Amino acid sequence: MALLSLSGARWLAAYLQPLRQLCANGWLREADVDLCLRQLHAALRLNRVFAQVEARRWVADDMLALQLRCNGNARDWRAGQHVQLYLEQDGVRHGRSYSLTSVATDGHIEIAIKRQPGGRLSNLLLDHLEVGEVIELGQAFGEFAWPQKHNAVLLLAAGSGITPLLGLLRDALARGFAAPVTLLHQVRHQGQQAFAAELQALSARHANFQVQRVFSGEGDRLSAERLAALPGDHLRVCGPRGFVEQACGWWHDAERGSSVQSESFSPLPLLAETEAGEVRLSFARSRQQVSGSSNANLLEQAEAAGLRPAHGCRQGICTSCTCLLLAGTVRDLRSGELFAEPGQPIRLCVSAPHGDVEIDL
Amino acid sequence: MSHRPDRELTPAELEAFGQELDELRQRTLADLGEADARYIRRVRGVVRLCCWAGRALLMFGWFPPTWLLGTFLLGLGKILENMELGHNVMHGQYDWMNDPEFAGRQYEWDIVGPADFWRHTHNHVHHTYTNVLGMDDDVGYGVVRLFPEQRWKPFYRWQPLWVTIQALLFQYAVAIQHLRLDKLVKGRISKEEVRPLARQFSAKLARQWGKDYLAFPLLALLLGANAMAVLTGNLVANLLRNLWTFLVIFCGHFTEKAAVFAPEILQGETRGHWYLRQLRGSSNLSGGPLLHILTGNLSHQIEHHLFPDLPARRYAELAREVRLIAERHGQHYNCGTLWGQFATVLRRIWIYRLPSAGTA
Repeated sequence: MALLSLSGARWLAAYLQPLRQLCANGWLREADVDLCLRQLHAALRLNRVFAQVEARRWVADDMLALQLRCNGNARDWRAGQHVQLYLEQDGVRHGRSYSLTSVATDGHIEIAIKRQPGGRLSNLLLDHLEVGEVIELGQAFGEFAWPQKHNAVLLLAAGSGITPLLGLLRDALARGFAAPVTLLHQVRHQGQQAFAAELQALSARHANFQVQRVFSGEGDRLSAERLAALPGDHLRVCGPRGFVEQACGWWHDAERGSSVQSESFSPLPLLAETEAGEVRLSFARSRQQVSGSSNANLLEQAEAAGLRPAHGCRQGICTSCTCLLLAGTVRDLRSGELFAEPGQPIRLCVSAPHGDVEIDL
Repeated sequence: MSHRPDRELTPAELEAFGQELDELRQRTLADLGEADARYIRRVRGVVRLCCWAGRALLMFGWFPPTWLLGTFLLGLGKILENMELGHNVMHGQYDWMNDPEFAGRQYEWDIVGPADFWRHTHNHVHHTYTNVLGMDDDVGYGVVRLFPEQRWKPFYRWQPLWVTIQALLFQYAVAIQHLRLDKLVKGRISKEEVRPLARQFSAKLARQWGKDYLAFPLLALLLGANAMAVLTGNLVANLLRNLWTFLVIFCGHFTEKAAVFAPEILQGETRGHWYLRQLRGSSNLSGGPLLHILTGNLSHQIEHHLFPDLPARRYAELAREVRLIAERHGQHYNCGTLWGQFATVLRRIWIYRLPSAGTA
């Protein structure tokens, strides 16, 4: 039984700064403090973000919107960013990224989860996550933002690419954005028109906003001609990699300007088992992008790029070079096993990139 | 290595030997899951229970039943925290859980040696260069001569005394290892190189002493309890932990049948070679489940050195197969009781204090 309400826990979190200091300086162990705090409320933690499920709402045949309320630790979140949602299965804490479709100042957020055929985690969330349960989130990240200038905006979404764009759109319209906004949402069939009713209501309320839909299952797709007919000086596009690359290509070919932001959520391209090829290595903390090889270990490649990662035995024993894998897939050079869990610690010296990767280094 | 009845392996045999161990490792890795996660969380629960119950009991002052039990529980909690929890988590044995509370790079343990020091001197130096003379500083820690292959120096004459002091102050001995004071004295490294490390060490020392010898005695004063009883209880608990960890660690690599190696062995060392060196340089302790858990499963020192990043709770089942693999390849599997193995360690400390034993 929780001793505090979630509002009470959020209020208390603001006064825990002395404890945070003590933990940061090693006088207290954060895990022990968290154990005590969670007795007060299941979502209360010192630094980590936990949220309680407040409502579940199906917004399409295959998409569920989750209304969550965070403990007080979410910092400067904006609609349109992503958060990592963590769920433990078989002793492993798995993370999946979802877009924030809304962020309120009182800690309420909404994310939308699309059912992935065969996806273990999304199905677990969709079918078993109940109202009242508490789940862990990472801090929000992502640079997707509404244009600064007051010109016409074109939003292109495919599938669940609608979610970050909806977050940006809701925010902009609520702030009174008055220039024309057009949203085109491409889905496979009618039942997948996520947030259809809400988008309809928005376009009824805001004369400057109109929404169009394309059903790719009926042979209709976004094309260069169709894009040319859509108004807008700024482009925001989100969807699978193929959709995004195509749309951006047409936009640039038509020389419609450089105010483009795009995000694609398909996994980074994966190499076949034996193929040795060139991959892109992104080192997040040092803000470096280099091209690398899928055959060499990441430690040597990072060093070749001028980085000085901590390292020790260089053969997978000492764990000195352990780093977080942020995106992409790496192959363990000793076992051939693949790791693709975002946020997972990997040993650079025995991991080779298996396609493009991003490392917290 | 005349004192070990090992068969020398051909390169092909060595490769097969390494492959068998690699396969064993793979099988275990693939099997990790819920049970291992539950286990390490339960261990942490027991650590908390022991430490907190011990500290609560110490608040009852000198009353023998509570003081003795409180001190014992606190010592037990620290032993479990250092060995089964801290040591194993810091090896990255539970990194696969992707849980920040059990992340090997971030864990800080309840001992004066900073975890960062340990990850270097132990995880890197000791586990990579196990029992290689001149490279693995854990061979005698610079104050003890345990093998005839170590060059004799006059101060080794008094090594039974040095070892006793080291055992009593084991947590400090382990901590300052990383400061390389011997090299500083010889002028091989500069004060500037040591200073940041010394600062890191004194900060950790202040936190540990502040907690055990200041904060809890002060709390006792505030509660109207006996601060001296609390302070002494903490002191004795730390001492118990020092003696026990010393005992276990000295039995890991310095027993009669443990081998040391010349640095040349590292040239072109293959995976199979590395495995073989770990097997020959380590020694196990036989006993029941209680002994295994109290040693942090370092009673399975051989398995720990072959697979330092596999969860230690798996070592017991791995040991059965490792013993068979060792036998199949004609390698001695060094295993004995705690006191039997320790007796051979004491004999080494006594014999090799003298230079004449150098050629024995």
